[in-house]
Amino acid sequence: MTANGFWSMGGYARYVWPCFAFAIVVLAWNLVSAHRYLAAARVRAARTMAMAAAEET
Amino acid sequence: MWNWFYKLASPPYVFGVAAAFVPWLLGVAALTLGYGLIDGLAIAPPDYQQGDAFRMIYVHVPAAMLSLTVYVVMAAASAVALIWRIKVGHAVAAAAAPIGASFTILALVTGSLWGRPMWGTYWAWDPRLTSELILLFLYVGVMSLRSAFEDPSRGDRAAALLATVGVVNVPIVHFSVVWWNSLHQGATIVRLGAPKIAGSMLWPLLSMWVGFMLFFAAVLCIRLQGEVLNRERQAKWIREAIKP
Amino acid sequence: MRVGLWEAFGLIVRRELCLSFRRPDQLSQPLVFFLIVTTLFPLGLNLQLSLLRDMAPGVLWVAALLSSLLSLEALFKSDADDGTLEQLALSGQGLNVIVVAKTFAHWLVTGGALVLVSPVVGTALGIPVGAFATMMLSLGLGTLTLSWLGAIGAGLTVGLKRGNVLLSLIVLPLAMPLLIFGAAATDRAISGVSPAGALYFLAALCVFTCTLAPFAATVALRITLE
Repeated sequence: MTANGFWSMGGYARYVWPCFAFAIVVLAWNLVSAHRYLAAARVRAARTMAMAAAEET
Repeated sequence: MWNWFYKLASPPYVFGVAAAFVPWLLGVAALTLGYGLIDGLAIAPPDYQQGDAFRMIYVHVPAAMLSLTVYVVMAAASAVALIWRIKVGHAVAAAAAPIGASFTILALVTGSLWGRPMWGTYWAWDPRLTSELILLFLYVGVMSLRSAFEDPSRGDRAAALLATVGVVNVPIVHFSVVWWNSLHQGATIVRLGAPKIAGSMLWPLLSMWVGFMLFFAAVLCIRLQGEVLNRERQAKWIREAIKP
Repeated sequence: MRVGLWEAFGLIVRRELCLSFRRPDQLSQPLVFFLIVTTLFPLGLNLQLSLLRDMAPGVLWVAALLSSLLSLEALFKSDADDGTLEQLALSGQGLNVIVVAKTFAHWLVTGGALVLVSPVVGTALGIPVGAFATMMLSLGLGTLTLSWLGAIGAGLTVGLKRGNVLLSLIVLPLAMPLLIFGAAATDRAISGVSPAGALYFLAALCVFTCTLAPFAATVALRITLE
């Protein structure tokens, strides 16, 4: 496939490239959102541990 | 021999296993997705009918297959949690729901973009498209129901029941092209008999499908860790687990 | 004192009907809503009766769905609020029987009433008299299925603050196949083609739901009552 043909996708470029772009966005969102969720859960768990430790003393 | 199976019901074990698997799953997913994209976009020959537009298959079909698979995973985990009262099941279901919903949206949007040049329309009230849209509503319903309860464990159980009831829609989505006269094409891979697609086009598609599955497993593991932490905040093993 | 299964069923159905008829205004509200919604479409679209006929099955079914949803919240709510539901659950009679009886009684006063009123609405939308039998049969089967789907949803959302909206969000996706086949059956009857296929499918959906939904609704109630 030629370099030109790759970008124009046989004339369908305005459907094919937004399609793949949206796919990358969804995959990226999944990763980012999952990491943020885990980080927030860690913070909350650490806070609960700290409160429990404070209560014990 | 089945000891590992029983261990899966233990939150600290699942937490540890999930954390360990993530880098491997992401690594292999990156490889398979990379190969699939390069082969699918540049090397596979254009279709004689659809030209280069058919390349949208390489994201649309894996997304659609995953949207159904993830729902089945969510429903199975929910059923296990309800029947045998295994809390880890609720964590898996809660982790899977947003991932599945995002894949459903991806399938609908990429399908719509593919439909415009091929069928002449961005949308049609066709059995396959309509049942996939219903699947999205079911995902949203499960997530909304879970968050509507103040008591998280009651929310988990209510959402689990809804997820189990809604699994009825999954075979409807899959068989809709068989049972009704649909605009959408019939089953090409998941069917009895040889696949109805050329080999040079099939390999990148299978690679993308495997890549998406591994990616889902990786993201599920990350979210699952968060869900387990949220449900086990009071437990003693957390202290060691969140040290680093 | 233990009563037989059918006796318990009959007692609860009679109780529900008594309670419903004691509040005739609450009984008629979903029906009035049904009539009003079906009026909105012709007013908004400003079509001749012959053109309205094409849309009539869809309009009828959407209106029936929406008015059923309105009344579904009341299925368990008042009993849950004053503690009767817990007493019934503890009564030693299986919760299944209670759920089946309450849902059946609910269908009689909502869906059943809708079916009886539908000829009036059908005439207003231009549906020919020959299609009335199919229309009423499809509405009957459909509203029964909907009452059962709604029982699951009501069981899950009883006691929630904004349960009504969530109830619709849960029930409507499950009810979409119903809408498709119900409207198709009436549509075929209007154009003179045999509606048998769609009616059989509707009946199959109804039997499937009536068989499995009681279990799901009972589990749902147990989850909320615990």
